[in-house]
Amino acid sequence: MRHSRVLFLTLILPLVLSVVACGPAKSANTAVTLWFHGGTAEETAAMKAQIARFNASQKKFKVAMTEIPGGAVAGSGYNDSVNAAAVAGKLPDILDLDGPNLYNYAWAGFLKDLTNVASADLKADLLPSLIEQGMYKGKLYAIGQYDSGLALAGRKSMLQKAGVRIPTGVKDAWTMAEFKGALAKLKASHQAEYAIDLKMNYGAGEWLTYAFSPIVWGFGGDLINRTTWATADGVLNGPEAVAAMKFFQSMFTQKLANLTPADDNDFVNGKAALGFCGHWMTTPYYKAFGDDFVLLPMPNWGKKAVTGMGSWAWAISSQTKNPDGAWAFFQFMLQPDEILAITNINGAVPGRISALDKTDLYKEGGRLAVFAEQLKSGVAVARPATPAYPAVTSAFYTAADSIAKGGDVKAELDKAVDKIDKDIKSNNGYPEK
Amino acid sequence: MKKTSLKRHERYWALAMGLPGMTVLIVFVAVPLILGLGWSFTNKRLISPLPTRWIGGANYASLLSLRTIHLEPMRNAQGAVLVDENGAPQYAAVREITKSDPSLQDFSEWFRVKRGRGYVVWLAKDPSFMNALVNTIRFVLVIVPCQGGLALLLALLVNQRIRGKNAFRTIFFAPVVTSMAVVAVVWIFLLNPEQGIVNSFLSWMTGGGLQKIPWLPDRRYAPVAIYIVSIWQSAGFQMLIFLAGLQSIPEQLYESVRIDGAGPWQSFASITFPLLRNTTIFVVISTTILAFRVFTQIDIMTKGGPQESTSSLIYYVVQQGFRQQHIGYASAVTVVFFLFVLLVSGIQKGLLKSSSEVE
Repeated sequence: MRHSRVLFLTLILPLVLSVVACGPAKSANTAVTLWFHGGTAEETAAMKAQIARFNASQKKFKVAMTEIPGGAVAGSGYNDSVNAAAVAGKLPDILDLDGPNLYNYAWAGFLKDLTNVASADLKADLLPSLIEQGMYKGKLYAIGQYDSGLALAGRKSMLQKAGVRIPTGVKDAWTMAEFKGALAKLKASHQAEYAIDLKMNYGAGEWLTYAFSPIVWGFGGDLINRTTWATADGVLNGPEAVAAMKFFQSMFTQKLANLTPADDNDFVNGKAALGFCGHWMTTPYYKAFGDDFVLLPMPNWGKKAVTGMGSWAWAISSQTKNPDGAWAFFQFMLQPDEILAITNINGAVPGRISALDKTDLYKEGGRLAVFAEQLKSGVAVARPATPAYPAVTSAFYTAADSIAKGGDVKAELDKAVDKIDKDIKSNNGYPEK
Repeated sequence: MKKTSLKRHERYWALAMGLPGMTVLIVFVAVPLILGLGWSFTNKRLISPLPTRWIGGANYASLLSLRTIHLEPMRNAQGAVLVDENGAPQYAAVREITKSDPSLQDFSEWFRVKRGRGYVVWLAKDPSFMNALVNTIRFVLVIVPCQGGLALLLALLVNQRIRGKNAFRTIFFAPVVTSMAVVAVVWIFLLNPEQGIVNSFLSWMTGGGLQKIPWLPDRRYAPVAIYIVSIWQSAGFQMLIFLAGLQSIPEQLYESVRIDGAGPWQSFASITFPLLRNTTIFVVISTTILAFRVFTQIDIMTKGGPQESTSSLIYYVVQQGFRQQHIGYASAVTVVFFLFVLLVSGIQKGLLKSSSEVE
């Protein structure tokens, strides 16, 4: 019988040990867990440095970051992880969320209401666009360190050679006719193989909604009926949206844009003359071309000039046991200098007016002034604030991907509408509790 | 010797030895299976404050409902066919028809076939599921013979007495031990229409005849690209099984047919292939089941697109369950999937067994 006892112990011991090992580590300071979506290498390094500074600045809390891949612009891996953790009750204390996904989590009750936690001074100092996007049904759930910027990248020398006017700001942005003309002239001038880089290398994911649903708005369409919030019928498949997506498709069929860029560098390599330019690309573009690089405002698509906004923002889980530690870190990372430590790396628009004032990049004449101007003048528009957003975006980006690859525009948009309506119906119209 | 009944301590041992395996099986196979079956009759959502409700067979009805309608050219008041500026007859929009007819309320067009002057339009409540189902069946029908055939060919090659055969075995097996995620990412670059090595190679081979094939962004080529990557990644595994089968064939049999004057083809047809029957049965059944589960390469390379040409059942399950958060609906898809695979494997087993009993 001795043998069996030995066997029993060898079987049980690893289990016991693993449970012990996973138990709470005893240390002087309270651990605060944080999930980060895994941006570019430089962004992640800056984030790590920021956390290290926080941990060194005080003794009460210790923030531990887990980097979850599959975020960035490509899409879904990070959200899958957050969904699974939310169900399992294993959300970290602090997590970052890509703009519009916030509404679904807030509706489901997974996020802590920060309305009364954030001071009035802080709220007054945040960019209005950040407050707008962090709010769901009148409550604040997330605060970003920065907002995104999306404009057109160009090279002065190339534009001049092709005889294209260079707008100086939002006021004199290209009209739709000018934009089409610019694409045609740039293509014809043979300075680059393609007129514009639409970053299709990001694949069928959030990028397509972020970057190209503004074209739908600019034509007068929308992703969802913003009066009833109950259907997308007649809006996403209406004549304006169809016209917008036909234009989108035409850029590929006329070979103005590359459907299959191998990587992020078509503009840097000189393969494309213009580029849809998210703030995260401004640093590499500036490095490549210096003062020849110019940031142009998004054109007026017909009804209005529109570009995307919203970026990754920080939220606190409602499951947290450390709300104080989490908020302490929020206060630390929302200091103007800490915000600039990140935005100087990724080129995003600093989220506080006091931080914005500390840098020349976004002031009039600054290299990235267009981003700030678009946010202030209402050219940048938030994606729809609805708990149905995950369904809305996946329907739209799937349709946009198919349309870019030659699908029938109306049929693809009809299909997207059906998917969105089905989702809203199966959630009983997303009623409030 | 009388039938052994396990002694007390032997039973204790058996239980102790079996416990870890049984626990894993129960926790990770039996429980999810039963939960999934239960959820498939509800509207359970992934993260939602709404209560889960029992909805009976509604998920299955939504998945499997099909209808056909006939679409005739539109006519004016005099009965003449309306034509567009190119002279082609005009048809009513199917969406208008389904929206106006209460019995077709939740249906939308899946595909249409030309018949006579009009079309027969197949409607489905969930055309995306139907596409995923058809794509998966097509995938299995291509993969099983091609991958099995290639694996047998490779096994025959590396079973020769040639120099460096171990190196070849290693090379052919290497993709199998590489994660499919890595393989898929690498192949995205290889298949890039302009800079990818596949197109450069094809263009060089054909003297410039084949240019810039849009592998992934074109619905005609995307499924082919998925087939190629899948076969490339996993044929090595079946090769190994065939190799084991080949090496269990006694050398004397080959010697005797050689004395009888048989050539290489005859010795393959009369010795190798018949003696590989059991190996082949195993390879066919296991490849079929593995092929039904295709997911990773699709998720990474095409996201099921373009125009749903590469989506598969498992991809659809993940999309519905995790990304759209419809757990109940996704569970129903997995139940359909399970029954379908069970049916196919059952038929396969029946066919292969009866043919081996003839012998």
